[in-house]
Order: sequence, then C-alpha cells, then structure tokens
Amino acid sequence: MKIEYRLTDRFDYLLFAAVVLLIGIGLTAIYSASNNMNNNTFDRQFIFALVSIIVFFIIYFTHSKIIRLLSIPTYLLSIFLLFIVLVSGHTVYGAKSWINLGPVGFQPSELGKVGMIMMLAYWLSKKNVKLDNLKDLGIALTIGLFPVLLILGQPDMGTAIVYVLVILALLFWAGIDLFGLFVILSPTVIVFLSFFGTFTAFIGFITLLVLLFYFKKDIFLSLTIFIINLASIFLFDIGVKLLRPHQQKRILTFLNPMSDPYGSGYNTIQARTAVGSGGLFGKGFLHGSQTQLSFIPEQWTDFIFSVIGEEFGFIGTFVVVILFSIVFYRLLRMALMQKDFFDSLITIGILTTLFVHFFINIGMNIGLAPVIGIPLPFLSYGGTALLVNVSMIAMVMSFYKDNKEHT
Amino acid sequence: MSKEEGKALRYSIFFSIILIVVIAVSLQLIRIQLLEWKRYRNKANENSIKEIPVVAPRGVMFDSNFKLLVSNKPSFNLEIVPAYFDTSNFKFLDSISSLGNDFKNEILKLRRTYSRFKPVIVKRDLPFETVSAIKEFSEKLPGVRINFVSKRDYSFGVNGAHIFGYLQEITAKELKSTRGNYTGGDLVGASGIEKYYEKYLKGVKGKKLVVVDAKQRYIRDFKNGKFDVPPEKGNDLLLTIDKITQEVAEQAMAGKKGAVVALNPKTGEIIAMVSAPTFSLDKLSIASPKEWREIVFNKSKPLYNRATMSAYPPGSTIKPLEALAGLETNNITASTKIICKGGLQYGDRFFGCDHVHGKVNLIKSIEESCNTYYYLLFLKMGFSPWLNYTRRFGFGRKTHIDIWEEKRGLLPDSVYYNKRYGKHHWNTGLLLSLSIGQGELLVTPLQLAKYTALIANDGRTFVPHLVKGYLDSETNSFHPFNFDAVKISVDQRKLDLVKKGMFEVVNGEGTAVNIKDSQIPIAGKTGTAQNPHGDNHAVFIAYAPADNPKIAVAVVVENAGYGSTHAAPIAHKVIRTFLRNELK
Repeated sequence: MKIEYRLTDRFDYLLFAAVVLLIGIGLTAIYSASNNMNNNTFDRQFIFALVSIIVFFIIYFTHSKIIRLLSIPTYLLSIFLLFIVLVSGHTVYGAKSWINLGPVGFQPSELGKVGMIMMLAYWLSKKNVKLDNLKDLGIALTIGLFPVLLILGQPDMGTAIVYVLVILALLFWAGIDLFGLFVILSPTVIVFLSFFGTFTAFIGFITLLVLLFYFKKDIFLSLTIFIINLASIFLFDIGVKLLRPHQQKRILTFLNPMSDPYGSGYNTIQARTAVGSGGLFGKGFLHGSQTQLSFIPEQWTDFIFSVIGEEFGFIGTFVVVILFSIVFYRLLRMALMQKDFFDSLITIGILTTLFVHFFINIGMNIGLAPVIGIPLPFLSYGGTALLVNVSMIAMVMSFYKDNKEHT
Repeated sequence: MSKEEGKALRYSIFFSIILIVVIAVSLQLIRIQLLEWKRYRNKANENSIKEIPVVAPRGVMFDSNFKLLVSNKPSFNLEIVPAYFDTSNFKFLDSISSLGNDFKNEILKLRRTYSRFKPVIVKRDLPFETVSAIKEFSEKLPGVRINFVSKRDYSFGVNGAHIFGYLQEITAKELKSTRGNYTGGDLVGASGIEKYYEKYLKGVKGKKLVVVDAKQRYIRDFKNGKFDVPPEKGNDLLLTIDKITQEVAEQAMAGKKGAVVALNPKTGEIIAMVSAPTFSLDKLSIASPKEWREIVFNKSKPLYNRATMSAYPPGSTIKPLEALAGLETNNITASTKIICKGGLQYGDRFFGCDHVHGKVNLIKSIEESCNTYYYLLFLKMGFSPWLNYTRRFGFGRKTHIDIWEEKRGLLPDSVYYNKRYGKHHWNTGLLLSLSIGQGELLVTPLQLAKYTALIANDGRTFVPHLVKGYLDSETNSFHPFNFDAVKISVDQRKLDLVKKGMFEVVNGEGTAVNIKDSQIPIAGKTGTAQNPHGDNHAVFIAYAPADNPKIAVAVVVENAGYGSTHAAPIAHKVIRTFLRNELK
C-alpha cells in the first residue's frame, strides 16, 4: 500500500512545540550565562539548534523501516567510536569523552545512547527471545552493559548511570518477571547494604537466601546467584577505587554539601542560591547577579537550569518543568500506542534517557541529587547532545507517523 | 495476568514514577523559590563569595651570566566595577589621581552594557600616596578598588626594548582564541621574547576568595584564605645576551639610527642586539593612550626592530662571499690579478671604483675593497653562482631567530627581475651593481651577522637565538632549548684565503686599519651603502679573535657615511667589551 506523507498526518504538534520551546529557552539562558565571557558559546549553540531542526525533519520523513534497519550499524558504529575515544580522545574535565572533528568536538557517548537503545530494542523485540531464559537475558545484558564498560573507562560516571537506568527500563518494559528483576537487582541492593557495614550486609544475605528459597529454583541456579552476589561486593570495592577522587568526593558532598563549601559543594550551593534568589518573577534577563558575576564556572553546561531559575524565577522554572512533563507524557502515551513492539521499546528507552537526565540535572541544580555531571536535554550547551536528543524525538515521531500502516 | 494487563500495569508504574519526580521537583522549586526565596536573595546579595583571579608573576630574564635583565616589582592598579560606581565620585577620584575624560566616558558607556559587573582597570602603577588616599575613603567609593599586582621591573641598566619586548592587555580576538587561560585585562607578551616565550613566562594564575557585599565591596577574606590557591610564578629564562656588552652597544648607538648584532659564531647565541633609536619599556608600560600614540607614530619608528626587520644594501661587505664564490666555481684563483684603473666601462655605463688600485689580486681586493675586481669577477662568473652563494649564506630568507619580529630582506632572482622589468628586458649590465652590494639586494643586520659567523666558524653555526633555556619554577632545573644547526660546505683552503683578506682589512693596509687592536686580532670588512633616500649607510662586519673566533658582529649606522669611520669603531668597542677577560 502506497502511503502519502504529509506533515499533518499524525504529527504530534504538542510534543514538537514543547521541544522547540525548550531549545528556545535554552538558547536564551546560554546567551545570558556566556554574556560576559567573550566567547562564541551562544553562536555555536544557535547554529547547532538550526542544524538540529533540519535533522529532525530528515529523520521524521525517513520511513521507520529504514530506521529499524539502522539498529545494528548504529550500535556497532557507536561501540567503534567509544573505542576510538578511549584510545585517542581528548580529555575535558578529567574524562576522555571527545573526538575532534576539525573545529567541532564530538561526544560518542551521546550517539552511544541511541545505538544501545536501538540494539537492545531490536533484540528484545525478536519473536523467539524470552527474558525468563537466562541465556537471552544474558545477551540482553551484554548488549546493554558493553558500552557502559567503555564509558566507565573514560571515566564518565554520570553517563554510565543513565545507561544502566535505561537498560533496566527497557528490560522492565519488555516484561521481565519478578525473578529476573530479582537476579539483576539483588547485587545492587547487597552492595548498597554493605556500604553501611557488616551487619546490614548480613541482613541482606539472609534476605537473599530467604528469597532464593521462595523462588524455588534448582539448587545449582540458586547457588550461582548467591555467589554472584558475594562477588559483587568485592567487585564494587574495586570499582570504588577506580572512581576519581573528585567523583568520590561528589557523592560524599551530596550527603552534606556544607562539608566542603568551596570544593565540590560550591557549585550546588551557588546553583541553589541562584535558583532560590530568583523568587517568583526572577531578576530579569541578563540581570541575575549570580549568573552575570559568573559564580558558577561554565554555567551554560550543567548548571543552565540555575540561570533560568535566577533570571526568570519560579515562572521560568515551572514552565520548563511543565514542558518536560508534556514531553514525557506524550512519549509514554506513544510507547503504549506504538503497535510494533520494537517501536514501543525505543520510545521507552528514549523517554527514560530524557527523564533520567531531567531528574539528575535539575535535581543537582536545586539540591535533590548529587552533582553528577550530565546535561539538561535541549537546554544545556552541547552540540552532540542537542543533535542526538532532537533526533531521538524525531525517531519516535517517525514511528508514530508510520503506525498508520498497521491500522 | 494477561499480556494487555501487564502492559497497562507497567504503563501505570512508569506514569507514577514520572509523576512523583515531577511533583518532587515542583515542590522543591516552590520551597526554594516561593517560600525561602528571601533567604537565598539575601545570600546572593549580601554575602557572596567572589573568586578573584591572582595573576602569576611572570618569569624573570637573566643574562648568560645570571645577571638580572628583567624582573618584577609590586604595583597597584585602580579598578572600577562600572555597575556599582557612583558617578558623583568622578571629581574626587580625579583630584587624587588625574584620570582624564577618556576614562569617564568609558565608564559611563560600560554602565549601559552587559559587562557592567566586570571590573575595569582604570590606571596602572598608582603612586603610593594615591593608594593610601583611596583606601582611606573606600567607604565612600563603591565600585572602586585597588588591586595589588606584579609589574615588570626594567631597572637593571639595560634597555633591551627590542629584545625583551613589551606587554599589552590581551585583545578581544586573542582572548577568544586562547580559551579560558586568560581573562580580560590580563597582560600578555606583545613583542620580543615576552611574546615568543609567553607560555614559559606567564605562569599559572591563582585565586583568592573574598566575601563581598551586594555592591562588590570587599568585606573579608573567605575563611582566612584557607581555600585560596596561590599563583605559580612563570619560568625564568636564561638569555644568551651578555649584559655588559649589550650596555656598551646600546651606549655606542645612542643618538644614532641603525643596528648592532653580535653573536657567538660557534653556537648562534646572540651576545648583543641593539636597534636605535629605541624606547623605554618602563614608560611604555604605564603610558596613557596619548603617550602610546606618540611612541607608535613617532617618525623615527622607535618600536621597529631595525636589527631584524630593516633591510639595507650590504655594500662592500658582500665581497668576501663573492670572492669565495669565485674561488669555489674556479673562476679565479689566489693568484688571479686584474688591473684597476679606477673603474670599468660596461656598455654605455661607467662603473666606478674608489681608487686606482693598479694590480689587484684576491687578498688585496678584499683588503682595499676594489670594486673593479668584483665587476670583472661578476662578468666572468655570471648571475647564477652569485645568487647561489648569497642564498647559501642565508640572505633573502628569515634566520628564524626566537622573536617574531623578523623580515626576509630581499634577494633578487630571475623571477624577481622578470616580474620587475619583463622577460628579456634585463641584462648583466643591470645586475652589475649587485657585485658591490648595491642594487636590489637588501639584507638585515641579523642576516649580516649570521653570514659573518658562517665565515668565521668555517661554514658552521646555529640558528641565531636570544634564549638558552628556561629554569623550571617548580623543580628549579634548567631546560635548554635546542636550535637547528646551520651548515654550508666550503673548501677550507679557499675560505682561508677570504679570511686572510678580511684579516688584512684591519691589520694590513686595508680599509679599517683605524681599529687595529694590538691585543685582539680582528678580521672584518667595511661597507658603505649608497641609498636613494639620503646619505650613505655605514656598514661593518667583523669577527675576533681572527684565529679562534668567539664573536661575530654586524653594525649598520644609517646615513652616517663611511663604514670604516662610523661603523667599525662601534664593532671594535663591542668586541673589546665581550673579550674583556682576554685582554692582555
């Protein structure tokens, strides 16, 4: 059946408008934050915004079948680029995550998000793949966690956390059963408990044993799971030692920012002060003293939300939260409505990516989450991230458009 | 549980998580922006911690014997934050430190821009009385502050303006291209060594944390400076300059126009380099825009480094090179003789010589600077060996000395003549004046010195340079810089003949016997370069001691007359000063 595409066909205006408005607000805030800096931050982001809109329509008008075919290549390409960046990338803020492409830097971990989601969605939507089969689950975890290892090598904790949460969301959406969830999550819980001392760890292991009895699986499987849990504590210990001192410090200062008011806690305190001092109406565009006096270095990246908070007040921040809520709600509805399970999984993966960024970034700006350096989608300065985020929205909308075929 | 039910359940769980997070974020925003905003507003307004970058003292410069040439001294800058400045204070400020109208308009203009929160340096190097007066009235002077900085100290007896170079506030364009290493108002090297070795000299900025009020007035140090980061001083440079020789050369050139370059022929190390007239780096560093313009647009071009940028005709100093070219291409031998009748008629032009020299051989041709010998040699040898040898001795291209101010001079080749006169419209007659260092050939004093060094050291030297290496400010270890070797292959016996000629110039019956020195055997060559714009330039090149050269010198004095009378004595002084420990 031949299909005529018109822009009006199942084009989600609400979602599109929310994204465009968020980009506009981001540009305004970047202009303000970099205003006294004599650099071309704003100009670059503006050009990236224009390019993103063009890319949006290219992807939107691409048939979803073609996008589907690109799953494996995108995944392999991003793995390849993540390798390259580990070997030869250049270091920004203590992490190797950039490849230089002439005048533009490129961040493969951003592309990697899409690649991982597409590949995992491809695998999980295969007809014969069953998640209660440990081998299939293992393959799914391998697909998901392989890029995570490469990203931890950079080392970029923030992005790795996003990946892990996205993997969990995809497995959950794919209908993993309670036992599967138990297998995946139990080591995390055990590690978390061991963090507080031997006693809590002991309680954790007792609970683990009780649950293993409850699930009544065969003795060999139960034993394997028990050993994996035991090993995870030691692995975690090694992992913590791999963390950079500044990252360890960040987790500690989240628990008590005042413990280091001019070290890691500084940005949190200054950001929260900026947001709070904005009040209801804000201090006005280019009139925020915290922003204009550059209390937060490189405020246009991870702390862009505090610029909005200071200069546009609660009205500004609330509009941002509402716009994001629209994006999340529309994406969740689409995930439910996509007829094809692959499309549905992709939509959930993208929703989770944006949502985790939203929560962690805004959270660290207002004191709800530790300072984990990840940007706010559509608003923070960063060309690769903007392009990838807009492309992800375009992909979902393209699927939604082509759903017509099935109905 | 059916498949659809499961999907609906998962949808609800996702929906709930999103809802909970959105509500949590909203509640926190309501808390800090609507309920507690006054507390945060006060915090932002009244008690802010401000990070003030502390500029690192630049590395100092030592001469080759570790005597100070350029150092640092404390100084005070007057800064104003336009947004907080009370304009009614203009009068008061003007009365204690005359600032002029330029700056008033600047501040008023800045108050309307978005940069109004950024402090502007209004005056550098305030006298102490002004500093104390401003500190006394600081309560009544919002937005005014005194900043303690480290400033260049040039009070060590050496001018060296063109060697050391000056500092300038970083331009907006440079600020863009350097990415965060600098901030507006920073001083960066703008010429000379300061510019070329900027990254070694500049050091690493520190930061000082202070508590300021809403008007950016200093209240107190944050936590007694516990979190301050001290600046790291830049690396010191060890120069190749010999301070005493440099001073003598500068005094010798005082009141004249021209340049002196002296270097060690074995290493390429520059012993002294003078360009006259010169300027005072100290005065330039605190010059008002008006004073700046006066220096920059001065007719005698004091900022211009004549030693490396001015191109002069070499005059007869080119002859040793031509003699060597003639010998090596077998056009002449040591015993080839010509008869000089005071010049040469070629076509319809007469090419003159200073004297009627009679019988002239190679040695005598250099010793007495006989033009006729070189006219005939050029006619016999042709243009291309001449071009080949001038090129091999480095004329027509940069020496790549370690300062950026350098020009190539001009070495005319056939491409040049074709372009200028048209193909086939130029001939040997047109080129003949090249043979006595006139015509289109133009060389810099630095190129002349390098050429002299190559003769003195038998065809081997190094790229001329001003800096030996740097002293790491952290480890205090010395790191030498490496410079490329410069080599040309010559027949030693033939070169020795030329050197013998140059020895006779000073020690025989030659053109520079006036500087014959009983303690130091000097070899040299005079030149008197005609120029269309005025009197002849006096040129002299020399090296000493003739048997084991330790110094090669080139001197050019503009519009002074004969090389022997006006340039040679300066070279002599420089040589005697440098070899002061060898005087018997």
